[in-house]
Amino acid sequence: MTECIEILSPGVGCSIQDAGRPGWRRFGVPPGGAMDRFSMRSANRLLGNRPDAPVLELLMQGQKLRLLEDTWVALAGGDLGASLKPWSAECLPAGKELHCLNRYEGLWSYLAVPGGFEVPRWFGSASTDARNGLGQVLRNGDCLRSVGSSRDLYPGVQRRLSVAEDRRSFSAELEFELLPGPQFDSFAASARAVLVELTWTISSRSDRTGYRLKGPALEVPASIPSEPVLPGSFQITGSGQPIITMTDGPTVGGYAKLAVLKEADLDRLAQCAPGTQLRFRWA
Amino acid sequence: MPFKLKAYGERSWLVDGLEHAARFALEAALLKSPPDFFEEHVLGHSNVLLVFTRPLAKSALLAWLSSIDLEPSVALKASPRHKVPVIYDGPDLEEVAGKTGLSVDEMIAIHAGADYTVRMIGFTPGFPYLDGLDPRLELDRRDLPRTRIEPGTVAIGGPHAGIYSVASPGGWHLLGRTNFELFRPERAKGDDVEPAEAFGLQPGDRVRFVPQG
Repeated sequence: MTECIEILSPGVGCSIQDAGRPGWRRFGVPPGGAMDRFSMRSANRLLGNRPDAPVLELLMQGQKLRLLEDTWVALAGGDLGASLKPWSAECLPAGKELHCLNRYEGLWSYLAVPGGFEVPRWFGSASTDARNGLGQVLRNGDCLRSVGSSRDLYPGVQRRLSVAEDRRSFSAELEFELLPGPQFDSFAASARAVLVELTWTISSRSDRTGYRLKGPALEVPASIPSEPVLPGSFQITGSGQPIITMTDGPTVGGYAKLAVLKEADLDRLAQCAPGTQLRFRWA
Repeated sequence: MPFKLKAYGERSWLVDGLEHAARFALEAALLKSPPDFFEEHVLGHSNVLLVFTRPLAKSALLAWLSSIDLEPSVALKASPRHKVPVIYDGPDLEEVAGKTGLSVDEMIAIHAGADYTVRMIGFTPGFPYLDGLDPRLELDRRDLPRTRIEPGTVAIGGPHAGIYSVASPGGWHLLGRTNFELFRPERAKGDDVEPAEAFGLQPGDRVRFVPQG
C-alpha cells in the first residue's frame, strides 16, 4: 500500500470507478460504476486483479498523471494518446508522466494498478458519483495508493498484452441491438420504424447520466406515471428526441420508453463520442 | 390481486398495474423471501421493477408471485410521521397561483393543509414522490426544465408533491425550501449502510408541510 500515482491534471474527466452500487436503486441511488465495464475488466485482468477492482476512468483528453514509484500500470478502452497503449500493461518507472494528449478512438479509458486503487467506499462501492456526493472527487495534486505491490509482480517481464477476447475496437460496428421498451406498444408504428431506419448522432449534451441523440423528432405518446428506468433505456422526451439513460442516470422517470439496448451493447455505446453516427436494429 | 408482467431489458420484469398498497406487499415479500437470482427492486407509481442477476423465465416468476400474498392487508404497517418545515418563497409561487386561479396565500394553505404519503423514492437519492396533493394544485410540468435546482427545494409536479434531494435539473414548480435532510451522503460511507441513516424519508412514510414565519 504505497502512494503510486499523482494526479497532475484531471483533464476533461477523471474519476475512480468499479462495478457500482447495485441494491440501492429503490432509494434513488443510481447503479453507477464504470461507463464501459468490459474495458474496466480488461484493465484489471492485465494485472491479475479481481475484475471489478477500483480503476481510474479517464474521459476524452487532458489528463496528466505522474508515477511516484516504479508501478505496474494497465490501460484498456479508448485510445486517448497516452504513451502507454490501451490493452497493455507495463512497469513504469518513478517520475514517468502519462499525458492523454489527443483522443484517437473511443471516449473512456481505464487505468488499473496492482490490486486496484485503495479508496473509500460509499454504499459498498468506490465509484465516484459527484452529482450525488458519492465517492472521492479527484483534484490536482491528489495522490492515489494501490492495494497491491508492484515489486516482484512479474519479474523480468517488460510488457503484458490483452488476449483477443479482452480487446475491442471502437471505430467499427456502430450498429446496436434493441429490445422493445415497456411503452413500445404506446408508440406509433412510424416512431418504431424511424428509430431503426435512420442514422442518429450522439449529441454533445451527453454525460454519465444519459446520452442524447440528434435526429428527427419522434411522435411521442402521453407521459406516464413515473416508473423505474434501467440504463440503456430510450426515453423519448416531450420534444421527440431520445435520451439513452446511462449508469448515473435517474432511477425513475415519467418519459415513455420506446426501446432498451441489449445489455452487452451498453459498453460499446458508452464509448461513442459526441458527433458519432449510429444505427439501431430490433433484436 | 390482478397484475401484468412486462419484460424490461434482458434480466428485469415490471410487475405492472398494482394498487398503492399491493406494491408494498410485493416489496415486503421481496425483502423477506425473494425468488432465486433476485438482485434488487424499484418501486414505481403503479408498478414494481424486479431486477435479477440473470434472465429469469416468466413462468418461474409467475410461480413465485403465486406463492406470495399480494393482498393489501398484509402490507399495513405503522408508518413514521414527519413534519417538514417550509419557507414558502419559491420562484414559481405567482405563476402557480395564476394558473390555478388561487391567491398565493390560499395556495400555501392548501399545500400545507394536506396529509402526504411517500409513494416511492427515486429520480435522485432520497427524492420523495408524495401522494396527497390537492387536485387544485395539479399542473403539468414546466415546458422548459430548469438546469439546476437546489437540494431542499419544495416543489409540485403533476399529481405529486416532492422535495429535491440533491442539486439536479428538474421540471417541477418550485414553491419553497426546507432544511429537512432527505439524503446524507456522509452517512453512506462503508459497505453496510443503514437506510434510515442515509435517507430522511422512506416509502410509506407520512409527511406534513409546516409553514415557517
